[in-house]
Formats: sequence, structure tokens, C-alpha cells
Amino acid sequence: MTQKKEDSDVKLIKYIQEGLPVTKTPYKDIGQALGMSEDEVMQKLKRLLDAGKIRRLAASIAHRKIGINANAMCVWKVPKERVDEVGKFMAGFEEVTHCYERPIYPDWEYNVFTMIHGYTDAECEAVIQAIKEKTGLDDYVVLYSEKEFKKVGVRI
Amino acid sequence: MILSDTDRKILHRLQSNLPLVSRPFLELSKELSLDEDTIIERIKFMIEKGFVRRLAPIINTQAMGREATLAAVNVPENRIDEVSAIINEYSGVSHNYLRKGKNKNIPYNIWFTMSAKDDEELHSRLKEIENRTGLTVRSLPTEKKFKIGVRFKIY
Repeated sequence: MTQKKEDSDVKLIKYIQEGLPVTKTPYKDIGQALGMSEDEVMQKLKRLLDAGKIRRLAASIAHRKIGINANAMCVWKVPKERVDEVGKFMAGFEEVTHCYERPIYPDWEYNVFTMIHGYTDAECEAVIQAIKEKTGLDDYVVLYSEKEFKKVGVRI
Repeated sequence: MILSDTDRKILHRLQSNLPLVSRPFLELSKELSLDEDTIIERIKFMIEKGFVRRLAPIINTQAMGREATLAAVNVPENRIDEVSAIINEYSGVSHNYLRKGKNKNIPYNIWFTMSAKDDEELHSRLKEIENRTGLTVRSLPTEKKFKIGVRFKIY
């Protein structure tokens, strides 16, 4: 990708990362602001989505405000050879919004991280129980957030 | 405030991609059997009232060439506010939480995510936080992703 192309992608993302215009023709309106045609804007966005640079063009929801009040980070100690199988299984739960493998250290042996969101703590606990029963894993820690100091979407 | 069934229907759909067509909300109106003006009006309402943080691209930091990590620190109880404020100063910090283990004690209590333009910048910032706080910052970058897609069940 040329430097010039990259720059105009960055310019586009920077312009819309705080929010697309909620109008009948948002892509045309973005184009007008940036000196691009509507087609150019749509093509650029399609390319950024196809390349995975943009995961989605979608709404970020204030989940607490709509009643999804419980969130648990549950970390699991999973034998290396079972990480793939278990990771895929955990990811299959609708309430599991993130599932990652992360490194271990001498004072930290939990290598699989799941973020679980639910309307209640009980809903999160039920998912944890189901994972525990189905995988047979019993070394895990549930971490509830006690205080939120910062929570913003990723910007460039 | 309680959202109407129409709002919830729109919200549910908006968590997936907005169509890349000239009139995306007209497209949604066909999918949802609502009219375009109603959809636009309700989305504006939900943004204004804070149910929707933003309707925008969800950026993949790594694919954009940035580096990111989840970091954990063990902060003494009486320094939590001070240290979390130092961490929050960095613009690459998108999440910063105090978390406690419910069923077991764990060696860290402050958890934050940080991204930077490259690995060097990321590590120098983490190092800087260590120097400023005198605490060890444990970096736990993603080794494998099984799922990333914060879409919520909306009922």
C-alpha cells in the first residue's frame, strides 16, 4: 500500500471514529467533508473491512445503560495442548464476548482469558459453571470489576 | 428509561455491519420492516440519550499496525487512586479497572489495556509507568484470539 493511500485511510478513520453522520446518505456526507466522492468513501471502507483494519462498522452500546450490568473476567489455567479445543468451546457462548490466550509468568499461571457479559451476576456464573463442567477445568479465577477508571473505544 | 421494542430491534441490528450502500438506513428499514425516517430518528435519540456510545468503525489496532497489550499491576490499597490516575494519563489506555478475585486471591488488582504505534513505544510507556509508580507492570499480550466481538444479547 502506498503512503498516500494509507494517509487517506487514516484521514477517513479519524473523521468518522467519533461517529458517522446519522443521515439518509452518510457516505456522501462524509465524502463531502473530506473532498471524496460517495463511491470512494464506500470503497475505502469496504477495503478497510476486508483487510480487517476495521472489525465492523457498527454501534458501540453502553451496555450498562441497557441493563447488561454484570461483567466478569474469568481466567483459566489450561494445559497447553488443550488451549485450542477449550478456547473454541468457550468462544461459542453468546455471553463470552472475548476469549484470548495470554502468556504465563512465575506468579501468573492463568493462560486463557474470557470476558463474560450478562444481565446479572447469576447469568455470568451459569456460563462459568457450564464451562467448568463441560471442560473439566477447575483452576480458574473470577474477577469482577470493582471500579472503572477508564473505558473508551480504541481510537487512532 | 426503558427502550421500546422498536429501539431494541434497531439496537440489535446496529451491532452488526451497517450496509455499504448509498442509503444504508433505507436498507435497514427493509430488513427491520420500519421506515427510514423512524430508524434515523431513533438512532439519533439513542445516541443523544447515551444508549449508543457511537456508530462508528470498530478499529482493529493490530491490523492498523499498532501494538497492544493487557497489563496488570499490584497496587497497594492506599495508592489505587494515585496510580490509576497516572495510567489514565496515557492516551493509548482504553480500559482501566480495579478487579478483585472472587474465588481466589490473585497477585494483581489494576488491569488496563494499552495500545501504541509500535512495540517500542508500547514498552517504553509501560516502563515509564513502572518508573513513575515504582511498581512492576506485568504485560500480558494476546497470543491467540478465539473471539473478539462485543455484541450483546438484547432483549
